[in-house]
Amino acid sequence: MFPRPIQKSPPWLQLSYKALLPVALVIWLLPLIGIAVTSVRPSSDLAAGNYFGWPSRFAGVENYASVFQNSNIGWYILNSFKVTIPTVIGAVGLSCLTGFALAVYKFRLNLAVFFMFVAGNFVPFQILAIPVRELTLRLGLYDTITGLVLFHAAFQTGFCTLFMRNFIKALPFALIESARVEGVSEWKIFRHIVLPLMRPAIAALSVLIFTFVWNDYFWATIMAQSADVRPVTAGMNELKGQWKVAWELITAASIVAALPPVAMFFLMQKHFIAGLTLGATKG
Amino acid sequence: MADVTLRAITKSFGDVRIIKGIDLEIADGEFCVFVGPSGCGKSTLLRMIAGLEDITSGSLSIGGREMADVEPAGRGVAMVFQSYALYPHMTVRDNISFGLRMTGHKPADIEARLRRAADMLQLTHLLDRKPSQLSGGQRQRVAIGRAIVREPQVFLFDEPLSNLDAALRVQMRTEIGKLHADLRATMIYVTHDQVEAMTMAGKIVVLNAGAVEQAGSPLELYHRPRNLFVAGFIGSPRMNFVAGTAAPAAHGRIEVVLGDGARVLLDGRGATVTAAQPVTLGIRPEHLTAGGGGLRATVRLAEYLGSETMFYAQLADGSGIAVKADGLAKAAAGSTLDIGINPAACHLFDKDGVAVIHGDLTR
Repeated sequence: MFPRPIQKSPPWLQLSYKALLPVALVIWLLPLIGIAVTSVRPSSDLAAGNYFGWPSRFAGVENYASVFQNSNIGWYILNSFKVTIPTVIGAVGLSCLTGFALAVYKFRLNLAVFFMFVAGNFVPFQILAIPVRELTLRLGLYDTITGLVLFHAAFQTGFCTLFMRNFIKALPFALIESARVEGVSEWKIFRHIVLPLMRPAIAALSVLIFTFVWNDYFWATIMAQSADVRPVTAGMNELKGQWKVAWELITAASIVAALPPVAMFFLMQKHFIAGLTLGATKG
Repeated sequence: MADVTLRAITKSFGDVRIIKGIDLEIADGEFCVFVGPSGCGKSTLLRMIAGLEDITSGSLSIGGREMADVEPAGRGVAMVFQSYALYPHMTVRDNISFGLRMTGHKPADIEARLRRAADMLQLTHLLDRKPSQLSGGQRQRVAIGRAIVREPQVFLFDEPLSNLDAALRVQMRTEIGKLHADLRATMIYVTHDQVEAMTMAGKIVVLNAGAVEQAGSPLELYHRPRNLFVAGFIGSPRMNFVAGTAAPAAHGRIEVVLGDGARVLLDGRGATVTAAQPVTLGIRPEHLTAGGGGLRATVRLAEYLGSETMFYAQLADGSGIAVKADGLAKAAAGSTLDIGINPAACHLFDKDGVAVIHGDLTR
């Protein structure tokens, strides 16, 4: 068996494994722990320079309450949802269609189109910032939720198509041929055979795109100006304070802002079913 | 009527010709088996009949209708795939009825057809299972059920049994045979297994490198192979081929001198040779006997199968020869074996591999 179970190794190795693993874990989680601890620290601690020590008292309740009272974070979170959910639906939905087309149909420029989708992913998006801003301004989409959604969806569809095309390509092609011989239309083949089998891919991609778009800061600051449009990542700026940075509030807001992607993961978790195509072909 | 007629059918992928002009007539209700080595184009030909591959040139008609440009669904065919191709997220019931539901059949009609197919294939108690909960043989039956409910004119099978174990394969073979007797539909069956072909077929089509080598009934192919390829492909263990020289002899007979000097006198049966010429003598292992005069060989390997004994031996000129002897025959490796040869069972092939004399014992 490979890898060899740790229980079968010599005692000294087992012991050091068990001792080192928690240490590695803590080092790994240190940034997250730091943010969590800071978010329950009273502001006086930070003023006194107690950045990494034990908090002098638990100030979690007042910090988190103050985040919601002193900023429009609720509104910004709503904005984030308004941007992220349509983007996920748009990008994943479109890529199911493009992925199906590229995986199933043979046409002359199939590979060329596919490589264009792939190549788009290699363009660093920073160099697109100015053209995209100009474009959205002229289209009247600057500083609108629609603009953000359209831009994010367009940008994410490339990667999603790569993902979906390869996933569909790995499905047994005989399933599609079999349905064709039975006289099932192409749309019904997509809807009733391919789409149900893509569930794990759709779930995985949704979580990925949700997290990515939710956490986006770059486009949120470039394409959103007004508070009506600003997503939570950009909106947190408000908590910076006029004269000093209120780290205890910013960290508390970060934790709040990080919750939806985590929730999304657990929500989608049951759809990550391995071996959905089990039994389709020989066994 | 659902006879299938192929006229000068060809298929090319770019410059490569996969199917090189095939003419074939399959009668209504016939069980026709395409057999041949890997890559001979038998699956491609089947997929062309199904409409899953384009026909480069030639004409295909099913039941008298030209089908070359008709969509797969419009051809009245149903196909059973080697991999079964069951929809993994659907129950057996949904798998079998999917095609009917998607093409607007009435629910009562679907239910009736489903019941009939399930009864025929003993699937009734499995209707609510998913494919992953079925054994290989059950999956195969579901795949066949999916074909039956469409009530097609022509059934197409693409190596349907090659994923099953030996015992199940024999069982499914008889089930498909029974199905053919019950449905009386035209069936075209692709396999690389010549035992399957011999046992199931009404007509065998031997394909090699994209062309038909010979088409005929199983016994016709066994007794009267048209050339070396068919002679070597049909029959198990395969026919022995020994190189020699043929020369005319008295009374219309032909004398063949084999590489090791042994002489075999064959009845010409109308065939003549004008002068000495190189030939290949073909004789099946089951038509040779251990003991008796004729050939002398050195045993290399003996297989005792109980019911019979196989001797793999070597003639003086180095060519190998297999003998299927009685189950009680014994010979040690390295010992000398006298092989009796029945001239009436000998096939003779000219230097191009075309049969000159058929060793047809049924005449």
